[in-house]
Amino acid sequence: MSIGASPPRLDAADKATGRAQYVDDIQLPGMLHAALLTSPHAHARILDYRLDAARAIPGVKAIVVGPDLKTGRAGGMIKDESMIARDKVRYVGEPVAAVAAVDPATAARAAAAIEIDYEPLPAVLTIDESLAEGAPLLHEHFASYIQTVQGGGHDNVFFQSSMVEGDVDKAFAQCDEIVENTWETQAQHHVYLETNGCVATADASGRITLHATCQSVHHIQQRVAEELGEPMARIRVIATRVGGGFGGKHASNIHSIAAWLARAARRPVKLVLSRMQDFEVQRSRHPARIWMRTGATRDGTILARDVRITTDGGAYADESPSVLTFALMMSRGPYRIANVRAHGQTVYTNKLRAGSFRGFGNPQASFAGESQIDEIAARLDINPLELRLKNAMRPDDTAFGGHPVASCVLVECLERVRDAQRVAPSLAPRAGRKRGVGFAAVSHISGLMGTSANVQLRTDGSIALSTGCVDLGQGSDTTMVQICADALAVPIEKVSYSPQDSDSSPYNWKTAGSRSTYMTGRAVAVATVQVREKMLEHAGEMMECALADLELRPGGAIGLKGVPKSVTFKEVALRSLFQSGGPIAVSHGFVFDGPPFDPKRAVLHQLAFPNLGVYTYGAHCVEVDVDELTGAVEVRRAWCAHDVGRAINPLSCEGQIQGGFVQGMGYALTEVMQWDAQGWLTTVTLADYKVPGVLDSPVEIYPIVLEDPDPSHPVGAKGVGEPSLVGVAPAIANAICNATGARVRILPMKPERVLDALEKRT
Amino acid sequence: MEFVAPTTLEDAYRALATEEALCLAGGQSLVAMMNLGLASPARLVSLRRIEALRGIARQADGSLHIGAMTTHAELAELESSAAGPSLLAQAARVVAYPAVRAQGTLGGAVAHADPAADYPVVLTAAAATIEIGSPRGTRRVAAREFFRGIFETALEKGEIVTGIHLPAGPPDARAAYEKLSLVAGDFAIVSVAAIVGRTAEIAIGGCGPKPLLLSEVGLSDEALLAAGKRLAVVCDPSDDQRASGSYRRKVLPGLIRRAVQAAMVRS
Amino acid sequence: MSRKLTLEITVNGEAHDVLAPASATLLEVLRTQLGLTGTKCGCNHGVCGACTVLLDGKLARSCLTLVANVGERAVTTIEGIAGEQDFSPVQRALIESGAVQCGFCTPGFVIALSALFAKEPHPGREAIRRALSGNLCRCSGYVKIVEAAERLAERRP
Repeated sequence: MSIGASPPRLDAADKATGRAQYVDDIQLPGMLHAALLTSPHAHARILDYRLDAARAIPGVKAIVVGPDLKTGRAGGMIKDESMIARDKVRYVGEPVAAVAAVDPATAARAAAAIEIDYEPLPAVLTIDESLAEGAPLLHEHFASYIQTVQGGGHDNVFFQSSMVEGDVDKAFAQCDEIVENTWETQAQHHVYLETNGCVATADASGRITLHATCQSVHHIQQRVAEELGEPMARIRVIATRVGGGFGGKHASNIHSIAAWLARAARRPVKLVLSRMQDFEVQRSRHPARIWMRTGATRDGTILARDVRITTDGGAYADESPSVLTFALMMSRGPYRIANVRAHGQTVYTNKLRAGSFRGFGNPQASFAGESQIDEIAARLDINPLELRLKNAMRPDDTAFGGHPVASCVLVECLERVRDAQRVAPSLAPRAGRKRGVGFAAVSHISGLMGTSANVQLRTDGSIALSTGCVDLGQGSDTTMVQICADALAVPIEKVSYSPQDSDSSPYNWKTAGSRSTYMTGRAVAVATVQVREKMLEHAGEMMECALADLELRPGGAIGLKGVPKSVTFKEVALRSLFQSGGPIAVSHGFVFDGPPFDPKRAVLHQLAFPNLGVYTYGAHCVEVDVDELTGAVEVRRAWCAHDVGRAINPLSCEGQIQGGFVQGMGYALTEVMQWDAQGWLTTVTLADYKVPGVLDSPVEIYPIVLEDPDPSHPVGAKGVGEPSLVGVAPAIANAICNATGARVRILPMKPERVLDALEKRT
Repeated sequence: MEFVAPTTLEDAYRALATEEALCLAGGQSLVAMMNLGLASPARLVSLRRIEALRGIARQADGSLHIGAMTTHAELAELESSAAGPSLLAQAARVVAYPAVRAQGTLGGAVAHADPAADYPVVLTAAAATIEIGSPRGTRRVAAREFFRGIFETALEKGEIVTGIHLPAGPPDARAAYEKLSLVAGDFAIVSVAAIVGRTAEIAIGGCGPKPLLLSEVGLSDEALLAAGKRLAVVCDPSDDQRASGSYRRKVLPGLIRRAVQAAMVRS
Repeated sequence: MSRKLTLEITVNGEAHDVLAPASATLLEVLRTQLGLTGTKCGCNHGVCGACTVLLDGKLARSCLTLVANVGERAVTTIEGIAGEQDFSPVQRALIESGAVQCGFCTPGFVIALSALFAKEPHPGREAIRRALSGNLCRCSGYVKIVEAAERLAERRP
């Protein structure tokens, strides 16, 4: 049975030998190279363009600037963007022109030769500047934008949302201890090793084909169609191997530019961002300010929580409404707090847009919430882990917003990490360093939006599997094949898996939201079972027996129970193709169908997304050393327990848990995008932006994979991609406090910040 | 851009005599700058084929003459009980990353003079001498005078760093190099190189445009902290992306003591 | 604008004629002229290690190596690291240990580990970590890469 085994990934051999094809590896005959000209101003009106010098450069084949665009604005829920700037620029680095030329150097020279006249405008670079009385407006025509969710914004506040359960003010009055604080989190960059890029070709009729590193071929197809003003049937997107995504490649910024140029030049166009440009042009995680107040009675029952979150959305809305809503949803934490009030708003600033990034608002909310649990525990003089256990959600509780939670093993997650740390041999103390242990509890979701899967029986009895789920490196290709193979009791070699191509792959929303194993895996399981049932029908006719007498035989056969007699999948296939029934192929799709938010429990105002669910739970325990002289923090060991429902490929689950931990550690300790006073991003190289290397990361990251199957999934599986990161920063902050008594409430917790906190200790 | 790879120093001097000609040693700093658009010399003179720039020669008094094209990896493997060579080897081991150490050179790093780099600090502590060649012959400048500012040295147009003379240090002295950085392989926020005999020679990096030097410092806790605190007051570290100037001042005295104590426990 | 140079370089045991400007890096030439796209460009400024190759058996960042300065040194890339075999022991170890996720960093790690094992047949954990300290991975958290190398160090004769 392939579920629960960890076969080498289908793509691992090609990747390890350098054969796997990523976007920049593609070379097409006649291919041109694109270069972008980007804005030098954080906020400015565009007055005039002069293109003659650029056009005169030999080898320049196409140029596009804002006035060339004929369609309306595009974007996510708020359509406030264009593929390149029109009329105004709103952040340094915003593309204002693009050139296709015969080689990269010529394209760059031509882009630099484009002259643009700007009228600089005052800019806002922080939440406070954006909210200030009389602040310059980034989007004066906001009221005219198409919005698929009404956000009730004003001035630079473009979206607001709230969730309320119970009566918070009454509950606080009953509390014996109340703590209140504000946390600040920073812009983090995805730093996928492969930068964003695509290769676009146009056929003679102008139909576009895009090879793209992306998180959804269907989403890119939709966005490019929108921006070019075409039906989606005229746009084809093929996913290449993807060198990491983490949310940074799930929306489209550059694909329409490449498509436009390919059409204009009538030649293929490659547009691959340099590392520097990728930092400046793509998206970041939302910086956030989280104010939180939590109250409890003396016995440790947490009665109330009040939350106000402001996120900094950057210059364009992108996924801000959803991120904000999700942050509010996660702000109660995985606890049975009966009275919760969470308000949120998101503002425009003249910086790179903020958007989707692993965790999607939960890391911000959890940094505050899980830190505050420790703070109120200290006030109550109750051990912080015990306080969590006391208030932890249990099976059949409801999540914030009213979803009933079918299963919940949070208590076990917390106990497992606590026990694992306790029995681990103590590490020797280090001179000048204080040792601390910290915990965090995590909840997240893994079901949302729509997906589908196609399963077909081939002539020789092998299986063709196709989904729209793009593998970003987390291993979904192999997972889907394992699920399919398992349901048919065949080895995985007998299942082929199609690359994602919008022309032929069935719909999937995106690889995002920790949803692939739950959503697409569920579609695969159901479709495969339906194929199995059709094969059983054939087998029953071929062996002239009742369906109840049949069983699957390992390796691709269906047999009569109790006797050797059987027919192979191949025989069934041949019968279906040449004799009766027709080709056996099933397409199964669904949109997330879990219980909706409960309006009797929770007052929800302007939630940005429809339904979502399939809650997962986890816990982190970290051990740190804090250097009291320098404030430097070293994570020595970590235990990470995550409920994955069912581990299809255990090594892949572990890989996600360990990788998410280190990316979360970077968020906690060293990574920060920084802008200067003119709005220029100053952290534009990997020398400036500090991603953890192997010497900065503990090898002892112990994944503890728990399986509490979700009843709505045929195999019980849930997601783990994001929970693995969400609890890391607060666990480290709690460990620093445990070690030294110093509380740090601003990310990243660089040595200087920790030293400041050490000095402020009473 | 033109590229030449002479085999003799004389040919190299001739090639360098034009405007906008730069030396290419290991390329680990220069090519990165070229890729980022921060440097575009009209002519590059590769020193790779000049044998006279290679080799490590041990002198009778334990000092070393090190050719400029010696790589960090070669220096990292230096085994010596003498304080100067030991200090240089410790620094070489933490320069950047393994691939950079395999190709990057002592001469290149010295000529580049990044204020947060490792060699300027250790060469200052070790009282090394920089050997400079030109068509006019060879001159020697003390390391303590060679590093003048941010990317600024005593090198004049057309000159090449040909080697380093590294003293052994006081007999029975020990050495340690402490580097504080945000992530491993990064440039230093603050670095301290200490040669500890009866007193300590301590050089500090990252706290100004060039290395700072504390000479003949007493070895007691009080003497070290006092010297460090005095230095913290007079030095002028700037704010940058890694840390603020005031943070550097705060950690400096303790790091100085740490480096000296680390030297004292080395065998 | 750079004049173009005519150069001959040896890559994976084969001689190649290259026509490139003096400012061209080995990385660009490998990927665009020689069709050897296994070596990746992750940053182009010498930090991420995705471009790692061997020059005469020593580690080099091909993005920081001017093709004009390669000279007679033998270049080994991911395409040549296994010689005549389908997979080298390092490649096999990574494939089998769940150490390959998005794969973009993997060729660089293969080269770095190959150089390590050529020098030290049985490196310990700290030597492995130091050898890999110039290669960034954003997916794996490094754990399974280090563990794969440790298992290989134990297994080999």
